[in-house]
Amino acid sequence: MRRLYLSATLIFWVLVTAFWAGSLWLPPAEKIAAIAVDKLISPTELAKHTAPENCWVSIRGNVYDLSTYLPEHPSRPDILLPWCGKEATEAYNTKTKGRPHSSYADELLVKYRIGILASEKP
Amino acid sequence: MTILRNLSIPLLIVTCTVGLIWWAFPEGLSTARTMGIVLGWAGCGLLLASLLLMLRETWLAQWLGGLERMYQWHHWAGTTAYVLLLAHPLVLAADVWPNSRLLAWQTLSPFSQGWPIWAGLLSLLLLMFGLAATFIMRIPYQIWRMLHFGLGVGVLLGLVHLVLLGISEPVLPILGLAVSFLGWRLIRDDFGLAARPYVVGSVKPVAEDIVEITLKPLADPTAITPGQFVLVAFLGPTFRDCGEFHPFTVSSIGANHEICIAVKALGDCTRHIQSVEPDTMVRVHGAFGTFLADRPPTPQLWVAGGIGIIPFLALLRAGPVNQPTTFLYLYRTEVDAAFLQELRALANGDQQLSLKALATGDEAPDFNSLLSDTQGLAHYECYLCGPPGMVAALRKDLHNRGVTPHQIHFEKFDFR
Repeated sequence: MRRLYLSATLIFWVLVTAFWAGSLWLPPAEKIAAIAVDKLISPTELAKHTAPENCWVSIRGNVYDLSTYLPEHPSRPDILLPWCGKEATEAYNTKTKGRPHSSYADELLVKYRIGILASEKP
Repeated sequence: MTILRNLSIPLLIVTCTVGLIWWAFPEGLSTARTMGIVLGWAGCGLLLASLLLMLRETWLAQWLGGLERMYQWHHWAGTTAYVLLLAHPLVLAADVWPNSRLLAWQTLSPFSQGWPIWAGLLSLLLLMFGLAATFIMRIPYQIWRMLHFGLGVGVLLGLVHLVLLGISEPVLPILGLAVSFLGWRLIRDDFGLAARPYVVGSVKPVAEDIVEITLKPLADPTAITPGQFVLVAFLGPTFRDCGEFHPFTVSSIGANHEICIAVKALGDCTRHIQSVEPDTMVRVHGAFGTFLADRPPTPQLWVAGGIGIIPFLALLRAGPVNQPTTFLYLYRTEVDAAFLQELRALANGDQQLSLKALATGDEAPDFNSLLSDTQGLAHYECYLCGPPGMVAALRKDLHNRGVTPHQIHFEKFDFR
């Protein structure tokens, strides 16, 4: 048991250090991977994507296709599903409990960005 | 019955772990992410089982095959959970590594993710330090207990990590169970709610640094059989021990439910207890232990080293043996030979009991010469009680003589 504890602890810290070091030396492709999707998406178009397998959400002026992310979200699906097809900035900023999402979540969100929410014409 | 008792704890652990994984199994995720999440739930289930196994209740110990067995599995489940929980964030980070190294690091870094990950990291660090206290540090028992208590806080923080992530099911029921087990242990076992009131009747020196203390029940007495041990705390207005329950093997059980325990000065606390006086209030919790229970009607070899004589003495004081029994009593010098006169008198009156008492000095006993005249040991049931070094050497010797592990019985009495 003692040997198991010592080796597991050592391997854990070695791998954590490796992940940290890996994040410092990013491959060039990742550095320039800033997604520049400028497609304008209207609120009407947004409102059509309300199904779990076709879920678009607008947050802070951008539109994200979260269809593939939904199963990975840590909380129950019924927390996120009602926001499919809607503007969800307030819900994202407060998690409906007054707590904001983390910078990790912001980073994760970038992967799913598909465009910019166009303002509705009067 | 023995098979059921042997399987009870593994079944409990498998039920907790597999049940939790089945309940919370994620669907539609990548293999690595699924594995990372399953590792977390498996660790959670093992920790829950480990918490249950630290409870000191006589009925629970009977169901699960004894307190010592519970503690061995408590250690195994806790350490295995720790290893799985260390792997949990690493596998989640490895899942996103091929797409983004930055995201992989942010999966691990609490600075990127806020309170949910801080809670998870603090939980792992508390588990790390708590287990280091058990496996690495040579520290006084009191400090070890405090660090070990931190493990309980670590378990709760791990569950808080899940709640902060927005996972309420099945976390809240598990959190309720974990708090219940920790509170149960604290209130009933550590604060002594489960213990019964006794009073010191007499204190008698029986060898150098060893006293035999008689305890009289003040309410319903504890049910005890020879070979068992009780957890005792001395709480008199003028005398107080180290503020915790100590395990002592019962040396006799009287018809009026009086019990005797023998206390050897092995540390500061047990040395202090040597000076306890009659009429001191005592709390007694137990009894525990299955060391001499269910002995088969085959020839037996008993080997006692020093204070390890006590469980055998309790059995002999209760009546003659039912099996041909060879009893080897080893002690350092004549002044350490507690109860030797009484044992000789008991052996003289018991046709089936053969006593061999020997002072071994500071050298390790030579079992080759001591056991040379004991023929056919392979058919004996062997019961060993004494210092860990002696028990380990004797187990090896007996194994070389063809005695199987199932025929060798001993208890470690190690509560760390």
